[in-house]
Amino acid sequence: MGDERFFPDDMPMPSANAETAGWWEACVDHRLVVQRCLACGTTRHPPGPVCPACRSASAEWAELPGTGTVYTYTVVRQAFMPALAGTVPYVVAAIEPDGGGGVRLVSNVVGCDPEDVTIGMPVEVVWEDIAPELALPRFRPCTGGGSAR
Amino acid sequence: MSTPARRRAVIAGVATSDYPHLPDFSEHAVHAQAAERALADAGLNWADVDGLATTGFFPMYATGVAEYLGLHPTYYDETNAGGASFEVLVEHAADAIEAGVAEVVLVTYGSVQLSQMGRRLGTGGGGGGGAMAPGPAIYDALWGNTLVGNYALAARRHMHEYGTTAEQLASVAVTMRRHAADNPMAQYRDPITVDDVLSSRLVADPLHKLDCCVISDGGAACVVTSAERAADLASTPVYVLGGAHATSHHLNLSAAADLTVSPAAQSGPLAFERAGITADDVDVAQLYDSFTITVVLTVEDLGFCAKGEGGPFVEEGGLAVGGKLPTNTDGGGLSACHPGMRGMFLIVEAVRQLRGHAGANQVPDASIAVAHGTGGMLSTGATLVLGREAP
Repeated sequence: MGDERFFPDDMPMPSANAETAGWWEACVDHRLVVQRCLACGTTRHPPGPVCPACRSASAEWAELPGTGTVYTYTVVRQAFMPALAGTVPYVVAAIEPDGGGGVRLVSNVVGCDPEDVTIGMPVEVVWEDIAPELALPRFRPCTGGGSAR
Repeated sequence: MSTPARRRAVIAGVATSDYPHLPDFSEHAVHAQAAERALADAGLNWADVDGLATTGFFPMYATGVAEYLGLHPTYYDETNAGGASFEVLVEHAADAIEAGVAEVVLVTYGSVQLSQMGRRLGTGGGGGGGAMAPGPAIYDALWGNTLVGNYALAARRHMHEYGTTAEQLASVAVTMRRHAADNPMAQYRDPITVDDVLSSRLVADPLHKLDCCVISDGGAACVVTSAERAADLASTPVYVLGGAHATSHHLNLSAAADLTVSPAAQSGPLAFERAGITADDVDVAQLYDSFTITVVLTVEDLGFCAKGEGGPFVEEGGLAVGGKLPTNTDGGGLSACHPGMRGMFLIVEAVRQLRGHAGANQVPDASIAVAHGTGGMLSTGATLVLGREAP
């Protein structure tokens, strides 16, 4: 996995800080994780310094199975980022990952016709390796084989 | 035994600048024109101003506007809540007037977003390449999400949960255009139909081009002072009856608890309670219409209809003059003018309605108006209740 490219090379690159590095490092290892509070168990995304429920700073990176469902989606047909002008139409979706405790990730649904995406559709992660220190999780319709790790 | 009358805040003057296309104006020149007109409308002078409230897209924004306008205010505020900013700024200004820490607060907005578009690449995200700072925006920008895309995600979920249709969303744009026909300054005035909206190109499903606000140059301003001060002026004051604001998340919509509920659900009931009114008392509304879905969520969250019934409410003409809740009587951001942060325009039109100065779209005998701003990615909401009569 990871050979397939979905977005062009000249996309912006993220930068990380002490709070967020763990999420990006897990991505490079093709592990889908979310931050989980060690005091109360609440999960959160994007990563942050304290638990929004109990404000504990103590957290772990909970590894998820890599499957989930589409909570909502849109087909982007006009790119505002010049780099994506040739990529439209593409699907941006809010994914509820299984085991994520209700958190949602903004990602893409790839590997199918945009018209076939529906709310509630089961999806599984597919990793796109972009650089040695950057991989991004996108999702495709479930093939029945579980995580595409 | 009698208690001294509470000092009450009023809006004594309102104005817009010229709009929607100001190629020869700087942003500060737009502020200057709107401010000059609002002061003239109030019957006040620059020398009377001791407070300034404004905001824009860089820090110390109010300080910059103060310098360019030659003001040295002892009260200033540049709270930035995106599109909801100006409802917050007027709420704060009213508090300052009632607390006695300011006498005349100028609230002003200016933008030349339309004319600047040719001078930079795109909007709503990085230019491609380069590193993005750590923060919430990278958790959707890297996957190609857009500003329109965020509102589309909310619209799609609302359709899924409540059966809202693309036709119902489109009807919001149709009504705004009908109102814009009576506003000589509006950017677009030719009538449109639901079919026109649905056959305009999709920007991000289910939102079409005509489901999205226009991009304009323009500005607006108002003058907040005390009822006592306004009594000596020739203009008709409008009372600030109450205001409230709320935020649900920052810029990553996936962090919102429920994509079908906007912060209006918090700010609305609080503002109505502070103003001593209910939704039934509202005669006319000016609701931020960045996208058609924004209006559907707002009429629900402010309690003008039940959650999930916003689609039928707008489709049945609820927003039209003569309908249950005449809304955006100047044509709104969908047709009249949207320079980026439209909140000040909502207040100007609300005041004009309460003064009976709203022209062909005047709501007869309007005595209570609501202006509600929505900012960010449905991230902020601010509700302002204005009244013709002293509370």
